[in-house]
Amino acid sequence: MNDPFPFGLQGPTAFYLVLYLSTLLIHIVFMNYVLAGSAYLAAHLVFRGRTNEESPLAELLRDWMPFMLSAAITAGIAPLLFLQVLYQKHFYTANLLLFSRWMAILPVLIAGFYLSYLLKSKLVHRWPLAGRAVVGCGTFACFAFVGWSWVENHLLSVQSQQVWEEEYVAGTLLYHNPELLPRLTLWFLAAFPTMALVVGWQLWYRHGRNNGGNKVAVNESVPKIAGSRRTAVIAVAGIISSTLAALVYFSVMSSDARDAIKGPVAFPYLVAAIVGGVIQLGAWVPQYLAARLTKKWLVVATVGLVVNFVGMAVVNEATRLAALDITELYAKHKQAREVGGLFLFLLFLAINTGLMLYCLRLVRHGWQAAPKEGD
Amino acid sequence: MSEHLYYPVNDFGPLMKGLVIGGLAIAHVFLAMFAIGGGMLMCYFQWLSQDGRCKHTRRFIDDYFRVLVLISFVIGAVTGVALWFTSIQVSAPTIGMMVDQFHWIWAIEWTFFSLEITAGYCFYRYGTNLNDRTRLTLLGIYSLASWFSLFWINGILTWQLTPGAWAQNGSVWSGFFNAGFFPSVIFRTVTAMTVASLAGCVVINAMPGLTREERTDLINRAAHFLAPMLLMPLLGAWYFGTFPPDARVLVLGANVPMMMFMGLAIGASLLIGFYAILGLLRKKLYINGATATLLLVLSFAAVAGSEFVREGVRKPYTIRGVLYSNSVTPAEVAHLRQVGCVTNDPYPLQNPDDYPNDQLRLGAKVFRFHCSVCHTVKGANALTHLAGSWSTTQKRMNIAQLQRTKTFMPPFAGTPEELEALVQFISWHTADAPAKWSESNDAETLHQIRDWLDEVGTKPGIELELHVEQEGGQ
Repeated sequence: MNDPFPFGLQGPTAFYLVLYLSTLLIHIVFMNYVLAGSAYLAAHLVFRGRTNEESPLAELLRDWMPFMLSAAITAGIAPLLFLQVLYQKHFYTANLLLFSRWMAILPVLIAGFYLSYLLKSKLVHRWPLAGRAVVGCGTFACFAFVGWSWVENHLLSVQSQQVWEEEYVAGTLLYHNPELLPRLTLWFLAAFPTMALVVGWQLWYRHGRNNGGNKVAVNESVPKIAGSRRTAVIAVAGIISSTLAALVYFSVMSSDARDAIKGPVAFPYLVAAIVGGVIQLGAWVPQYLAARLTKKWLVVATVGLVVNFVGMAVVNEATRLAALDITELYAKHKQAREVGGLFLFLLFLAINTGLMLYCLRLVRHGWQAAPKEGD
Repeated sequence: MSEHLYYPVNDFGPLMKGLVIGGLAIAHVFLAMFAIGGGMLMCYFQWLSQDGRCKHTRRFIDDYFRVLVLISFVIGAVTGVALWFTSIQVSAPTIGMMVDQFHWIWAIEWTFFSLEITAGYCFYRYGTNLNDRTRLTLLGIYSLASWFSLFWINGILTWQLTPGAWAQNGSVWSGFFNAGFFPSVIFRTVTAMTVASLAGCVVINAMPGLTREERTDLINRAAHFLAPMLLMPLLGAWYFGTFPPDARVLVLGANVPMMMFMGLAIGASLLIGFYAILGLLRKKLYINGATATLLLVLSFAAVAGSEFVREGVRKPYTIRGVLYSNSVTPAEVAHLRQVGCVTNDPYPLQNPDDYPNDQLRLGAKVFRFHCSVCHTVKGANALTHLAGSWSTTQKRMNIAQLQRTKTFMPPFAGTPEELEALVQFISWHTADAPAKWSESNDAETLHQIRDWLDEVGTKPGIELELHVEQEGGQ
């Protein structure tokens, strides 16, 4: 393959890969919010000590965590589906080899879900530090476990048949790979800029609404928004630390994966990822200095994140393509592409996306004081 | 013919894999029913609230929705993913084939599920501060989206038993709108309404500060959703009528557990139905929390029974006519009888030293490939219990002609040597796994096994049965 992704691939394979990556990016937005948000909440619950001081970020994150988790799971269904179309044998084999360790993510996810609801309750905030720490760290631990399991599953899925057989015989339920820790660290640190951006938008929107409309928020001369500086610090720290983690990960990768990243398939996307990171930095620094969040810079940061996301997603996929012989799967993808239903999917995707936006609009406009019982 | 695709096979210990997936499916289906029917019920109550015909309806809706979000949105959503992952553990080729054939249907269902979650959370977060019209619209969208989730998944599930013209033309839509589609989707809609109504009665009893009259009023309104149960016998008969004849025979007595579970589903439904129609709708009785909970538990038993039957009647297939429950395709049977079912299996045994000789090691691999999806060695549905009392010759013949021994079993797909190894494996375990066990490679025995295999052929038992019936009629 000597063309940039996805041009060097057979049509149906390229089609499913683009679809997979597009839906994966939606999932990652919510996933990053949950992972980084729960980490922040855990740290906040532990380190705020006895002061009981509340932070706008923590308040917001706690309030939205259950919904974001639900959205992450829902948005995760589509990439999971296309992953099975693309890499069925590899994904299933890794699932089977990790067996009960892999299946454990389901009860852990349920525990994390309920803990995130518990985090929302006022009761927990009156608890002593140890109790708060258990809930906060427990929530984060659940999501970190899920993240670890996925990374492990991915790394195992791209191994050879011989490694699979060895793993099966060993029956250890843990897959040791030198890439595991650097990869997991990269995912974790890269989650913070996304979380910061979504929280930034939420703070900006809430500030505008509380001040009687968006006009105030759009204006550059708005008063300082509580939590702006911390949000910007989280974003900048996330971008810098994840870049360093990416360099470390790059150094421990197989030479094939490194060549794939530097090669024609992924290199333009690597550049895009770096450019996206720089754009984000450029958008967060002025917001930090001014201690306020503005629509203009948030839009720029969003553009930067999207560019960075697309770049990183393709670079990541290129490492998988370097490990597998994708041409062996061409016939299967072609066969899958021939089954009916695509048109209807696109139709319902458009209709239901419209209805989802309509629901949000309804909520925005239908707000009024709740009528009393019996009115 | 493409080579058989081997996956690593896990041992679930004393648990039968079918029970694991069945239990999970039952929990998920019940929660899904609760969510689907719940949406409709709340639409109805919102309409009543706007009409001013019933007090406290708005409060009931908010309480009910909180329960729905905390239970259905959490456990319901995660068990949905769990079902996918467990399906991979139990039979990766089956779920793989379903994804290959229906990924666009699943993708469509995903768009509806996303809409359901969006509308649901909008209502959950902001519902108390919204005007009536907006509330009704949100609930309407939520209900519609959740019902359509059922609509799309229903097509895939019924296709597994009655693939219809898909088997000939390969068209997704022929498979989707199969014979079982409409009776199943209507039957499930009525079930969802029943579950939601009974859950509503539990919630009403848990609402503080209501008088008995106020509770009775709300309960009688919720009971309106039980009225469609009157249609259940007709719908059930319609759905049952779409089952292939051999599947109907399984339920009617050929398979005792299946018959018992069918009895459980019918019995529990009848109990609920009588109580609902006579007590709640006709006499307008009040039911307390304990009775409401008991009825809800009965509805769970009914759902469990019917889901067990739905899963079970597909035997010997997971996808009728296409894939046997042990992931062998009908076309592969003859080939595997020549080359061996585990000859090309790349995954070694995890515990080879546990066996005293190579024949038993081969038998363990054959068991893993052929039997382990539905049977254990000594746990649930154990081979040592099912075949332990058979003589060695009986084992050889019964396994060689497996589809004739039990028509819901797939034909044996392996060589005589593999079959003999499996027979020795069962006998060795039945004898409590002694340290010494001699191999049995008698040429005459192997020849006899080959004769039995050839005599029965590679067709499934259900087709042999038809053949025998036709011969008898001539």
